[in-house]
Amino acid sequence: MNNTSQFHPDDTMLLEFSAGTLATAPSICVSAHLHFCSKCRAQLLRLDQVGSQLMSEAEPLELEEGTFDKVMANLDSSQQIPVKVDSQQNNYPFSVTKLLKNNLVSQTWKRLSSSVDVARFETGQEDFEVALHKICAGGKTPKHDHHGLEYTVVLKGSFSDENAVYREGDFLIRQPGDVHQPMGAQNGECICLSALSAPIKLTNPLGFLMKPWLRINPM
Amino acid sequence: MGMLKTESKNLANPRINGDRVAVLKSTEKRSDQWSQLLISVGETHDRQAFAKLFQHFGPLLKGFAHASRNEGWFPGLGDDLVQEVMIKVWNKAAGYNAEKASATTWIYTVARNCRIDMLRRKSNTQHLPLENEDFWHEPDEETPISLLQQKRSEDKVQSSLAQLPKEQDEILRKVYLEGKSHAEASAELGLPLGTVKSRVRLALQKMQVIVSTEAQE
Ligand SMILES: [Zn+2]
Repeated sequence: MNNTSQFHPDDTMLLEFSAGTLATAPSICVSAHLHFCSKCRAQLLRLDQVGSQLMSEAEPLELEEGTFDKVMANLDSSQQIPVKVDSQQNNYPFSVTKLLKNNLVSQTWKRLSSSVDVARFETGQEDFEVALHKICAGGKTPKHDHHGLEYTVVLKGSFSDENAVYREGDFLIRQPGDVHQPMGAQNGECICLSALSAPIKLTNPLGFLMKPWLRINPM
Repeated sequence: MGMLKTESKNLANPRINGDRVAVLKSTEKRSDQWSQLLISVGETHDRQAFAKLFQHFGPLLKGFAHASRNEGWFPGLGDDLVQEVMIKVWNKAAGYNAEKASATTWIYTVARNCRIDMLRRKSNTQHLPLENEDFWHEPDEETPISLLQQKRSEDKVQSSLAQLPKEQDEILRKVYLEGKSHAEASAELGLPLGTVKSRVRLALQKMQVIVSTEAQE
């Protein structure tokens, strides 16, 4: 959670996140990045200050009679203790931990290619496929391009492509038409969160081969 | 970031702002009245302090609810939102960290999350495994920015917001108050998406929310 990220969501995306207008799937990715990136957390706070200032300037509206009394009557004398994030143990962001607990489509990794496994999440929306991808150490992924947008956040380990090495917390966007061939780092497996607006088109026909389920729990 | 670093260096240097440093260190607390009240609610379950917060923020929250132009909006949203937000404020006040944000900013974030979640529940019958609130669990940390710097940036936002050109102000309001995405704002205003984004960036630069050299990153 130190600020080691090199690749960040851009300012307008953070602003949409701050305003709450960013769609669910990219929001999951931004929140995962924020878990790792103190620089963007500080930036987000300034964006929240803009929102709060705008809210303060909104026209105040008179409340219905009784709203105040209803609230006062509902105040529990024992306040809740602030929720402690229990994702520290695996260093996963809270939203990912929550999804892992309840909302995996399958409790197993599914083999996507010889070196990539995937575990898909149920996120209540259908615009994006949200999933974890695991690239084994030194694993080469099939060369592929994209029909749609893809957001990726490195959660564990690192991978590289033609352009750079991507480490924990790094946030990437692939545009439709980008062709790339990520490779897992030699020194250990790499786990990424991704949100994909359309299924990946594998340019290597061998990539289409579907392997049987693997009994590995992503936790 | 460069600017902030220089500032903290200056503060550490006793020759510059020497006595100011001492004052700040001994009172590293928020002085504005809403933050003080929120601290009282968190520390001692102070119902009177809570009632004062309610009188101030309740009507603002209702205004914020009515500004929404999202799918799922319904006439009773305003008072429902006020109730839900204020009860959350009571329940979560113990976790409020005055060094991190003013009460107004903190309550805004609670209201924003509540508003989205309430609208989603209205317009979506699907089971939603994540609430907006879930995106906002940040690790506990030493705040990277000092309270003084935060106050300065808040003041700067407040003073410069009023001076933004109408075309920039209009888009910020669409996004933050009406709850429109940049794409929706671009469609409504009949402007290319790139123009909407560049106006947003210009506004953020003017308010010094982003530093211009970082805008391209
Ligand atoms: Zn970042």
